[in-house]
Amino acid sequence: MPMGLDVDILAMGLNHHTAPVDVRERLALDSTGVLTQLKRLRETGLAREALIVSTCNRVELYAVPGEGGVDPLRMWFGEFRGPKGADVSSYLFEHRGMGAVQHLFRVASSLDSMVVGEPQILGQVKEAVRIAEDGKSLGRVLGAVARNTLKVAKKVRTETDIGKYTVGVGNAGVELALQIFGDLDGRRAMLVGVGDMGQQVAHALQSAGLKELLVANRTAEHAVEFANEHRATPVAWERMREYLSRVDIVVAATGAQEAIITNQDVRRALRERRYRPLFLVDLAVPRNIDPRVDDLEGAYLFNVDDLRQVIAEGVRARQAAKDRAEEVVAVEADRCFHALSRVEVGPEIGRLTQFVDGLRQAELDRSQRLVDSLDETQREQLEKLTKALVKRVLHAPLQGIHRAAEEGDAATLEALLSIWKEEE
Amino acid sequence: MERLYLIPIAAYALLAVDHLIPNALGKWFRQVSRWVAVGAALVHAGILVYEALVSAEPPGFPQALSAAALGMMMAYVVVGAADRLRALGLLLAPLAAVMLSTSLIAPDRTVSALETAGNSPWLPLHLGLIFVGVAGFSLSFVVGVLFLVVRRRLKSKRNLSSLRRLPSLDALDKIQFRSTLFGFVFLTLGIVAGGVFAAVSLGSTAAFLDPKVLSTLIIWVWYLIALQVRIAAGWRGRLSAWFAIVGFSGLLFSLLVLNFLVRGWHAYGA
Repeated sequence: MPMGLDVDILAMGLNHHTAPVDVRERLALDSTGVLTQLKRLRETGLAREALIVSTCNRVELYAVPGEGGVDPLRMWFGEFRGPKGADVSSYLFEHRGMGAVQHLFRVASSLDSMVVGEPQILGQVKEAVRIAEDGKSLGRVLGAVARNTLKVAKKVRTETDIGKYTVGVGNAGVELALQIFGDLDGRRAMLVGVGDMGQQVAHALQSAGLKELLVANRTAEHAVEFANEHRATPVAWERMREYLSRVDIVVAATGAQEAIITNQDVRRALRERRYRPLFLVDLAVPRNIDPRVDDLEGAYLFNVDDLRQVIAEGVRARQAAKDRAEEVVAVEADRCFHALSRVEVGPEIGRLTQFVDGLRQAELDRSQRLVDSLDETQREQLEKLTKALVKRVLHAPLQGIHRAAEEGDAATLEALLSIWKEEE
Repeated sequence: MERLYLIPIAAYALLAVDHLIPNALGKWFRQVSRWVAVGAALVHAGILVYEALVSAEPPGFPQALSAAALGMMMAYVVVGAADRLRALGLLLAPLAAVMLSTSLIAPDRTVSALETAGNSPWLPLHLGLIFVGVAGFSLSFVVGVLFLVVRRRLKSKRNLSSLRRLPSLDALDKIQFRSTLFGFVFLTLGIVAGGVFAAVSLGSTAAFLDPKVLSTLIIWVWYLIALQVRIAAGWRGRLSAWFAIVGFSGLLFSLLVLNFLVRGWHAYGA
């Protein structure tokens, strides 16, 4: 009997929490691979419905298991990549029922990501859903779950600040730049010294929409090399100070032992740029930019410690946002899962009431002669009477069915429905 | 008529609460807040215009306060519409609410000289232009205050994540310049219209020696200097912010104090 009350959803897979990268990369699938596996799962009856999310951080199967239950799917995980994928069982996690729904919600909402709040994962989940739709492997259950997943992820993003708090030196730099300039449209930055942290900030600025990145390095070859690799423009070291007036952002990260950008340099630059604000980031220790620069009007200087503080504040705020997001996900998963069990009894109840009404109709037909002997008003009254009777009789059992459905009490539900089945 | 003012006052107060205490009124209010502002400002403007048309009395002190509040709301609706500039409402909405409320309990005085002046189109023009100018200056004042707040946080390197809700320095600086220029142009035109009105209706150029006229001219020169150093030398940011704050304080002083305490053409009569 298609009860669906025990909506059986399985989430199984491995991700950056459970498996090291060499295992993850062995199992990762491209979109063609995902499509092939989805077809195979359906055709072999391993799963009635299936969805595979495969990214560099996770390979996860969401399924309504077939007749054989979960074990064959576990086996499938071990062998779908051929002998290369052997013995991954110790890395697998499993969630059933509501846990599975919640897991997918958390993944799509970027709560399960390596960098919590990163936005790419939602796109990846969307893509996974699209592929599963193409492969016709989403049915009533996973289809509904998938739709809800995208909705919940969006809700989490708009209702919490989960995506807004960025950690890391690069993003902290971007955040400060945005606070000063609003956007990086048409802004220029100069990277002084091609150290590791400096590159991080420069990259982050570039991906935030910087117009041009200049790079100056004491060893000119390194500047040119960096410039070629990163769409930047090399600047001769000797002329670096001249450019202070032509850029809006300066990121200094050299190994120099003394200040290479002095108070005078910046003062002159500010005058030349008519006091438009200049944002300076000094990532070097010992510092590369005279700290007194920050006292100049229009110059905003941040050193490594200042940036670290921005990061720490971001981490704290993000934790708060994360707690809030987890709440949203838990509530929505609960709602989604229970809605799944409820819709399932709808058709059953429809069929049931139809069946009983059929009985009523049949009885009336059998007493055709009696009915014919009545006048119009009496016939209507009889109709009303029988309908009311049926309604009264069905009232208690229907309530029982609804209650059982809400509570997920499969045994009671089956018992209640089977009474009528036998009649049929 | 005064009771109708409770509508815009309530709306401005709600907007102020929404800005000052995030999420106090829930998400849905934030979504409709712009329409609340637009609707309330329209009602507000409607009452002002109606009063001006119906009343036999020339507009007085309560109307001046009410108009200033309306100017702030107009700035709020026009400039604060951009998501990134929403934070302007932090100051504009409460200020408008307070000013409009004050206008209800403020002494109902009108400029005594007007009682003998008779009707002239130059008077509403004079008042209207000055009103628009003051709206511009009030925006530049609010923007100036916010600029100093943001700048201070950036310089002190503390509480930087709370900046997220405030506009960027650059945006504030740009509005600073534009709103000051806007206010200056309309103030200039308003002064000219006032001069014409005085010459035509009062039949006297003695009005130019009025204390209020003198103080306004000083404020006019002050804003001229503010614009001049900005355009010629590029001095901006903190300096512009202080220019705006001091200038607007001067305007308020001139409205609240000079009209009441000092005798002259603009003095409020009993």
